[in-house]
Amino acid sequence: MATKRLKFNKALCIGCQLCAQVCSAYKEGEYIPSKARLAIETYYEDGSLKYKDDFCILCGMCMKACPFDAIDMDKGWIHVDPEKCKGCGLCAKKCPKKVVRIRDKMAYICDTCEGDPNCVKTCPHNALTFE
Amino acid sequence: MKAKILEEKYTAQAADPNQTIMSAYQNRVLRIYLDKQEAVVEPLRMDFAEKYVGSKGLVIRYMYEDMKPGIDPLGPDNNLYFTTGPMSGTPIPCSGKLSVAAKSPATGTMNDCSVGGHCGIRLKFAGYDMAVFHGQMDKPTYVVIEDDEITFHDASHLWGLTSHEAERELIKEYGTEYSCLSIGPAGENLNYISCINCDYYRQAGRGGIGAVMGSKKLKAILIKGTQGVKVPNIKEVTDRIVEITRTVCVCEDTDYVFDEGTYAFLEACNDGGILPAHNFSAATDIKWDTYNGAVMKKYRLGKRGCGSCALGCGNFMQVGDAIVEGPEYETTAASGPQCDIASIEHNVRFNMVVDDMGMDSISTGMTIAWAMEMAEKGIHDFGVHFGNEEEMIQMVKDMAYRRGAGAELADGVKVASEKWGGTDFAMHSKGLEFPQYEPRGSFAMANSYAVSDRGACHMRSYTPNEEVFAASVPPYTYEDKGIVLYNLGESNAIKFSCCLCDLFGTVDYPLMAELLTMITGREWTVEEMAEVGRRVLNIGRAFNQREGFTREHDIVPQRMFKDKLKGGPADGQVLTEEGFQDILDQYYEIMGWDENGCLPQELLDTL
Repeated sequence: MATKRLKFNKALCIGCQLCAQVCSAYKEGEYIPSKARLAIETYYEDGSLKYKDDFCILCGMCMKACPFDAIDMDKGWIHVDPEKCKGCGLCAKKCPKKVVRIRDKMAYICDTCEGDPNCVKTCPHNALTFE
Repeated sequence: MKAKILEEKYTAQAADPNQTIMSAYQNRVLRIYLDKQEAVVEPLRMDFAEKYVGSKGLVIRYMYEDMKPGIDPLGPDNNLYFTTGPMSGTPIPCSGKLSVAAKSPATGTMNDCSVGGHCGIRLKFAGYDMAVFHGQMDKPTYVVIEDDEITFHDASHLWGLTSHEAERELIKEYGTEYSCLSIGPAGENLNYISCINCDYYRQAGRGGIGAVMGSKKLKAILIKGTQGVKVPNIKEVTDRIVEITRTVCVCEDTDYVFDEGTYAFLEACNDGGILPAHNFSAATDIKWDTYNGAVMKKYRLGKRGCGSCALGCGNFMQVGDAIVEGPEYETTAASGPQCDIASIEHNVRFNMVVDDMGMDSISTGMTIAWAMEMAEKGIHDFGVHFGNEEEMIQMVKDMAYRRGAGAELADGVKVASEKWGGTDFAMHSKGLEFPQYEPRGSFAMANSYAVSDRGACHMRSYTPNEEVFAASVPPYTYEDKGIVLYNLGESNAIKFSCCLCDLFGTVDYPLMAELLTMITGREWTVEEMAEVGRRVLNIGRAFNQREGFTREHDIVPQRMFKDKLKGGPADGQVLTEEGFQDILDQYYEIMGWDENGCLPQELLDTL
């Protein structure tokens, strides 16, 4: 079975950030978008509507960058081993979507809620899909 | 500087055995003293929160407590409040609205505006239920709220810029993770019809709230928050919220919001005979199909909602070099049919210019429409005439900068008509210009404008819902309308105190009570939703009563009683004084007010 990934259709996105609020609820135990594992936002700049679509595309760059073998993708999503991770931040540096969060000597990365992403269930206009 | 935290007050609150601290609130009120450049954090009055929930109700209660009657709305004693609710920052759909409130220079009443964008959730994530600006600066300033850090900055280089220019400068320097609240030249020049812009295209629009900010020499406020909002059993609560979002909020009844936004009201109002035209002379526009939703979509570049929105009403549009998120229904009607201009290009341009100048699109449109009628009747020529787009756009700028005839119109129709005449068709109540619903096609709407806590407003008792769209009661009668007025006012009062958006039309009391119970950890009943709604109506009235407002101020212009409406389904309709006064009597009785429209002492004591 092909790996399922998050997909984003910006034409349907209204920039509500409900995805980040819901993500942080399940992952951090509070509504705190600054710690969410994705950051999808829209904003106006120089008279145009801009989209920021930072979410894990399962490219595996973090896994390849990790010097401690702390990251695997065996199940089709990112898994960080807290025993091995030192929070060095190399994975965050390599992440092309800038969605690895490093804090308290640990990397926090989207695990697609183990193949059942809550952000997708929340997105009111189906701008985010998992396919 | 770090905001000074009043630990002793928190300790006292925690030690009080009668006081439960509800979840979902931050339990922090930020008071910023501009003249001293100081910031202090105190605990939220939980007793107020239990009685008024949040946002609208909570802020009016705070204003009632903080401010003495009779203060000058543009003086140092008027406070400027930015208030969230318990739902702010949670994924409860359409909960991103922020109440912006002060005493109004236009009306002399309390004035709470509801603004979208992301400033509401960001203030909550910065760790505050409410931010209050006290006093005035002696030189232009902008304030940055970033979590616990409150900083004051010189804004001399921004003063004189338009609202959008100032925001562009600031966001270039600070970044898009900040929300920006700013005023334009109209706010700087203390115009009674000036607004506060948020994130470019969302406005706390009415009652000259921009002038209050201008009087404080406060050009802009930037807000960034990285903190969280805590609720009990968050996974189960979030599961239920997501279910509500996907079934109750986003559903067939609300499809129109994403499809067209409030543009959809154009057809509904035109068909219902309540789309006002020619400064409230007519109630239909045969040209409406030249600027309706289908036409709008041709110019739409994208959709946008506010923080925590699930619906997304915003239409980002471009026509030529005019770019704006909008125009909404109100702006379209006020700048279009009211001024005999049937052009979507004009609506977009007007919207862009009023936003940039920092002016309320309803009040600006209605003031110019009145000036056009003054010229048509040969009473006075301000240089604007029905059907002339260019004159209108130029006049907006002249009003913002108080130039020439613009200076005469800069404070709205009440001030202008008291000087120049034409009061019979100066369409306002208590100094706030009518929004875009024709009362002669929906009779109780006249009373809604008249009794509204901040002057003529469509966000209080929205009677067209019952009288026209649902047609649950006949539109051209007075009998039993007091209860219609009351029920609609009560439901909006609690809804806006939860900080929910008007367009979340499918939310009801059981759902509000369920949501509040889930997130605050305190049991809220359906009956309490009605009680809070009633209390919010009462506290608004109590504030105004203290300022000297009584029944004699609950009025609408004589046009409503003298001139028969022209055209459309309500053709020939006109209100009677007796009928209008009858609905007032009914409403006062339901509210428990005396025949003069005043709260008796025993009712005041319960607030």
